[in-house]
Amino acid sequence: MTYLSELFASRELFYNLTMRDVKGKYRRTVLGQLWSLINPLATMLVYTLVFSFIFRARPSEGDPSGLDIYPLWLMTGLLPWMFFTRVVNGGMSSVIGNGGLIKKVYFPRMHLPFSVAGSVGYTWAIEMGVLTVALTVFGGMPLIWVPVALVFMVMLALFALGLAMLLAIGNVYFRDLQHFTTIALQMWMYLTPIIYPIHLVEDQAERHGQWILDVYKLNPMERFVSVFRELLYDNRWPDLSDSLVCVAWTVVMFTLGFLVFKRSEKRLAELL
Amino acid sequence: MSEAAVVVDDVSKKFRLYKEKNDSLKTALMRGRRSVHEDFWALRDVSFEVPEGSTFGLVGRNGSGKSTLLKCLAKILYPNSGSITSKGKVASLLEVGSGFHPELSGRENVYLNGSILGMSRKDVARKFDEIVEFSGVRKFIDQPVKNYSSGMYVRLGFSVAINVDPDVLVVDEILAVGDAAFQAKCKEKFAEFRRAGKTVILVTHSMGNIRDMCDHAAWLDNGTLRQVGDAQSVMSAYTADIGKGDR
Ligand SMILES: Nc1ncnc2c1ncn2[C@@H]1O[C@H](COP(=O)(O)OP(=O)(O)O)[C@@H](O)[C@H]1O
Ligand SMILES: [Mg+2]
Repeated sequence: MTYLSELFASRELFYNLTMRDVKGKYRRTVLGQLWSLINPLATMLVYTLVFSFIFRARPSEGDPSGLDIYPLWLMTGLLPWMFFTRVVNGGMSSVIGNGGLIKKVYFPRMHLPFSVAGSVGYTWAIEMGVLTVALTVFGGMPLIWVPVALVFMVMLALFALGLAMLLAIGNVYFRDLQHFTTIALQMWMYLTPIIYPIHLVEDQAERHGQWILDVYKLNPMERFVSVFRELLYDNRWPDLSDSLVCVAWTVVMFTLGFLVFKRSEKRLAELL
Repeated sequence: MSEAAVVVDDVSKKFRLYKEKNDSLKTALMRGRRSVHEDFWALRDVSFEVPEGSTFGLVGRNGSGKSTLLKCLAKILYPNSGSITSKGKVASLLEVGSGFHPELSGRENVYLNGSILGMSRKDVARKFDEIVEFSGVRKFIDQPVKNYSSGMYVRLGFSVAINVDPDVLVVDEILAVGDAAFQAKCKEKFAEFRRAGKTVILVTHSMGNIRDMCDHAAWLDNGTLRQVGDAQSVMSAYTADIGKGDR
């Protein structure tokens, strides 16, 4: 049986591990699933207060949607980012966190990071659903763009998974990699135009040199965030080159993570 | 002798024993320190066959490589050289109840654990009553397992694992858990297995267990195979060696 067919044959395990996380997380808390929405809402309030009210970040008006509401603009970029970091962090620690299981039972280990993406993706889907409703209520037309957005959501999930699988293996060899990743993700977030609009960077690039913008565009998350904004906030087709770059990053990162994980998988039980 | 259910062919397994283990990126990058290790052969050139339908005992002192061999059989570890081929589905009872989620109910955990062990949802549903009956925790099956006593935890885990219905069952010192009544039930289950023509490979420290249950046995000593054959003669050789008390 080839690796892929075994993975596919055990998809029920993927589903069960995903549901273990989904159910386990909010079980027996008073608000249950609602908790998952409180965290993004609180973040939205704080960022809006600090970056829109105090720092006066002014994203351009949605074209053609005509939306001009900072919190909604923020969330169209922030929710994908939060999903990305949760998959990277969770997927990365999923191997070490389930060390006991890996040492005791045989099963395709790749289901561990996959199921993290599954359960985090479940929460993300709910958040994006709520956001879509809010965008519609405030006058946007995101609904017809939802199918395209779903394609990009799957792509972002695969991209994040690829990185998570790579780091999960790295984490087995270097147990402090998690700390470095946390710091790196923090810096990465501020280097991605999520809470401030890219035109602020463009202004600086005009003054100090085009290379600044070129470097900025090397960041795959800049492309993903901009695609989600174009689809859901602006309500138009995303820039073609952005889309192609997203596809390329997804293919490269997922393939790399998959191959590295697959190669190390058999040795995990003795490394842990 | 009938056909072999499992063929262990010239298997060697090496572990790295670290004198100085460097698993931190900080020391690796900043001080350029590398790990220093020594190779340790936990199994060396082990070959034997387990006949189909037999109950096969594995004996040897602590640290002789029994668990390592069982883990290789269960595909948890991979031998450095040699190969293991088994006929049909192999299930292992190395530690039961791993993978239980404390917040989920016993029922949900039975499904989760079943699928970790390779059962489909349909299989679990079909066997659910039998599993719960065997474990004796029916009254608590809809309680979160964090409220279970450790005995209940183990019994439920064991019941799931034993109902996987494999062709070859691999068991490591599991008979030590649970009270006498539960142990008796387990032995009965193994006997049922044997009657159904399935193969059981087990490690146990109780000579009594080996005598009542096994028809074949292998004796491992410091990672090498000392003797393999019918349980009677392997056991008497092994007991005689222990009796010499050279360690
Ligand atoms: N993951 C591991 N890393 C290093 N050494 C190990 C590992 N697992 C087992 N060993 C060593 O291999 C030897 C055989 O162990 P084991 O198979 O557990 O013996 P047994 O089950 O017969 O008591 C022991 O010396 C043990 O210390
Ligand atoms: Mg052992």
